[in-house]
Order: sequence, then structure tokens, then C-alpha cells
Amino acid sequence: MPKVTYVQQDGTQTVLDLPAGTTVMRAAVAAGVRGIVAECGGNLMCATCHVYTGDGADGVFPGATDDEDELLDCTAEPRRDNSRLSCQLSLTDQVEQLVVHVPGAQT
Amino acid sequence: MTTHGYDFARDIRLEDLWDDPYPIYRRLRHEAPVAWVPAAGRYLITKHADVVFAEQHPELFSSREKDSLVLRVMGANMLREDDPEHRRLRAAAEPPARPRRVRGDWSPIFQRTADELIDSFADKGEADLFADFAGPFAAANLAHLLGIPQVPAADMIRWSQDMMDGNSNYADIPEVWDRALAAAGAVEEAVDEAVRRLRDEPDGSVISSMLHAEDPPTLQQIRNNIKVIIGGGINEPRDVLTAGVWALLTHPGQRADVEADPALWRNVFEETVRWISPIGMYPRQTTEDLELSGTRIPAGSRVALVIGAANRDEEVFPEPDRFDIHRAQRNHLAFGGGPHFCMGTWVARHEVGEIAWPTLFRRLPGLELDPDRAVETGGWVFRGLLNLPVRWKK
Ligand code: HEM
Ligand code: FES
Repeated sequence: MPKVTYVQQDGTQTVLDLPAGTTVMRAAVAAGVRGIVAECGGNLMCATCHVYTGDGADGVFPGATDDEDELLDCTAEPRRDNSRLSCQLSLTDQVEQLVVHVPGAQT
Repeated sequence: MTTHGYDFARDIRLEDLWDDPYPIYRRLRHEAPVAWVPAAGRYLITKHADVVFAEQHPELFSSREKDSLVLRVMGANMLREDDPEHRRLRAAAEPPARPRRVRGDWSPIFQRTADELIDSFADKGEADLFADFAGPFAAANLAHLLGIPQVPAADMIRWSQDMMDGNSNYADIPEVWDRALAAAGAVEEAVDEAVRRLRDEPDGSVISSMLHAEDPPTLQQIRNNIKVIIGGGINEPRDVLTAGVWALLTHPGQRADVEADPALWRNVFEETVRWISPIGMYPRQTTEDLELSGTRIPAGSRVALVIGAANRDEEVFPEPDRFDIHRAQRNHLAFGGGPHFCMGTWVARHEVGEIAWPTLFRRLPGLELDPDRAVETGGWVFRGLLNLPVRWKK
């Protein structure tokens, strides 16, 4: 079962054990994780589900599509090499431990 | 909700909401966050958390409202559909409004619109930025985006207003229907003409995008959706444009901050749509019995997601009535949420925040409010300035 750790800018963490099939965004919204706003509900239009991926992300997710890529240029906090939109990060059983850092602002 | 809250909600008058809804919203949030308001014929949902919940549960809060006046004026369209049909229409229309296309295709056109309008009045030293700039700017830009660039801004504005008046013609005034249906007919003609042109020669416009989509809508669906976009794509950018100028002219410190650091225009945009949300509420209909903030809402109820109230919720935004571009938290709900999240988000942010405001403040030196004419504001379903008389150094 994938285990995802959401790390806030102030260092506080939320750890969730999640079933495969959900997304890093959907799980965060359902659990009320602060800072994952996800205005458009995963429809790839809002860029308010931005995260910086950390340990455990290498090689387990497909790369960003063009639609995700253009929205990553529009995030409130600066885009970095490890920036992703969490609505596009689908959890599979391949994901064991994943750490994502939640930016300070989404709009 | 408290008994007091209940009595208070029952007696709310639409005139008072129109004049200044914010004190009413504050009381509702505290005393009756989900309240049946007879004058509006709906449950008003006013807390940020409850509005977010509704946006995240489109299966409980349907957009397919029965007997919606929008359907009578515009016909079936994406705004009043649920997924999967909504998704199909939206996917066909959306590509030209995505951020990269906005920057690449539309930015130069938006800039030209801004400069031509300012050229027309720069020498006068005074203008009403509502009528002379914001309305025509939003309308001309939208005509280009949709693929009907030959339509004069004044026609776009009239069609938009006439259809919107029809959408809220609860009083059933025949003359209002006549104007609304005439406007809808005029839009259909303009669309049909564009379709004849774009069928063999696609371009980057919304009509072209729908016409040549992978799963293309019918001609009638294209017409109806263009009506909705004309109804909803002019007044909102106009209203954020004027509200933001007014906010800066009345908050000189923040004006100085953004003039010194253009990166802050983004903050000005987000704070303006939070502070005076151009769409103050939008409707939904519940699909099953549910309970929200302690109030039971029966299945089939009409509800209003009052984003104008949610965006001033003190639990999310400290000192919510203050205009403050330096807020740490900016997760406002001004563009709605979930599948119907505004299709024009990136268009509006770009045309207003990156083109209109910087150009106005650069080209009109010493811009200030006209001390002899008062600024007026009104509305709650849609809220904004009704005029914006300004002057500058010639
Ligand atoms: C600051 C300006 C704007 C604001 C505040 C705004 C706000 C909104 C809101 C709150 C909704 C959701 C309505 C609902 O769910 O019932 C919406 C939907 C929509 N907006 Fe905007 N809007 C703005 C500008 C624009 C522009 C410029 C366009 C045109 C390109 C546009 C086109 C649309 C469309 C087509 C929808 C329906 C989307 C759907 O049903 O999937 N909007 N807008
Ligand atoms: S939730 Fe909107 S882009 Fe991810």
C-alpha cells in the first residue's frame, strides 16, 4: 500500500496510507491536507495542486503531458525541476514511500 | 442554525444584497451558514469550507438545474450540464483559452486592443474607465478569442447584457424575453457566418476549436456554448478590471508597491477577485437529502454557492474586508471549482493583470479618481463598479 508524506513549508507532515488508484491530489483533498487547493478538481486547468516531489518519486510516474507542462509555468510558487501537479500523480502499487513538499501558496 | 439566524435569513431583501451584501454575508456565516432565503428562492451557502465541499461534490450539487432560465435563453450548454456531457463540450471549447495559447496567440491582440482604446481618449485627460475602457476591452478581446473579430464591441456588450437580463428574468417581463431572444438570434447568425469561414480554414479560435474537435459538438451546441461564453466572458473581466483600478487608486501604498514591482500585478488580480468577486454566487440543485453545517437540505433544493461570501470568510482570510495584495493565503474561490472551474481563467488573468492594468498605469500618468464624480458599486449575483470616473495629466 503506497505511503505518501506531505511536508509543509513549516516542516509539519501528514502521512497517509493510500490505496492504489487514487491520486496524490485526491487523497490530500479527502484528508484535508493544507495547501493542496485543487480548484478544478483534477481537470488540468487550475495549477493549484502544485507539489515538489521528493524521495520515492523517481521513475514511478509518467512524465508531464503538454497540458501539465504549460500549467506548471503558471504556478504561484516558482516552478522547479521537481515540480508536478499532484492531480496527475496516480498512485500504483509500484509506489512504496513517496514524499511531496507542499508549496506556500497556490494562487 | 440559530433561531435568530433563521429569522434574519427569512427577512433578507434582494435590494439590500444588491447595495452591500458583505455585512449580510458576515451575519449569515456566523448565524446561519446554510440558510433558506425566501427572497432568493434558494439556500444560501456562505462559508468557505461548505462552498468548497459543494464544488468538490458535483454528484450531490448538480449543474442541471430544472427549469433554468438560462436554458430558455441560450439552449442546452456546458454550464448547465454535468459530466460526461459537460466534459465533452468543455474539451472541445477549451484549448484556445489554455495558458500557452493565451500568451502566444492572444496576448498581442489584447495589447493592441488596450492601446487603441487608450489612444481614443488619452488626450482628453479624463474618462469613465467602465464605459470607455473596461467594457469594450473585454468585449473586443472576446470577439477575437471566439472567432468573430468583425463584431463591434458595442454589439457584443449589448448581446451579452440582453441575454444575461433574460437569464435572470424571474419577473417574466415579456420585453426582457424579446430582447434576450433577439440577442441570442444575433449570436447564432454571427456563429453561423464564422462556421462557414472556419469549416475549411481552421484558426486558433474557440469556434474553430469546437468545429474541428476530436468529438465535435453539433452546430446547435456550438451556437449555445458561444452564447454562454458571450454571456459570461465580458462582464466579469470588465468588473475585475475596474475594481482593481479603484482599489489601487484608493490604496496608494499598495499602488506604489506594484508600480515598483510589476511581479505584484498577479497579487493584485487574485486579491481583487477575492475582495469583490465578479460572480458573487452561482446556482446548483441538490441530488439527494444532505446535511451541511448542521442544516438539512432536501433532495432537489435550489442552492446558491455564494463565493462572494466565502471569499470574505474570516476563518480563511484574516480581516477579510481589507484589500491587501500582500496576503499570505490567497485560495479564493472566485473562478468556481470542480469540473466547471472557469474556462476563461487564464484569459482573464492575462488580459487584465498583465495587459490592461500595467498599460493603463503606464500610459495615463498621475491617474486618479475624479474628485467631482462618485464611484458607484452594486450587485450580488454579479457585483462590480457601475462607473469609474478618473483623470490624469495630459
Ligand atoms: C475575472 C473574470 C472571470 C471570473 C471571476 C469568472 C468566474 C467564473 C465562475 C465562478 C464560473 C463557474 C460557474 C459555475 O460553475 O456555475 C465560470 C465558468 C465559466 N467561465 Fe468564467 N469568469 C471570468 C472570466 C471569463 C472569461 C474571460 C471567459 C471567456 C473566455 C469565461 C468563460 C467561462 C465559461 C465558458 C465557463 C463555464 C465553464 C464550464 O461550465 O465548464 N470566464 N467563470
Ligand atoms: S487540480 Fe487543477 S490542475 Fe490539478
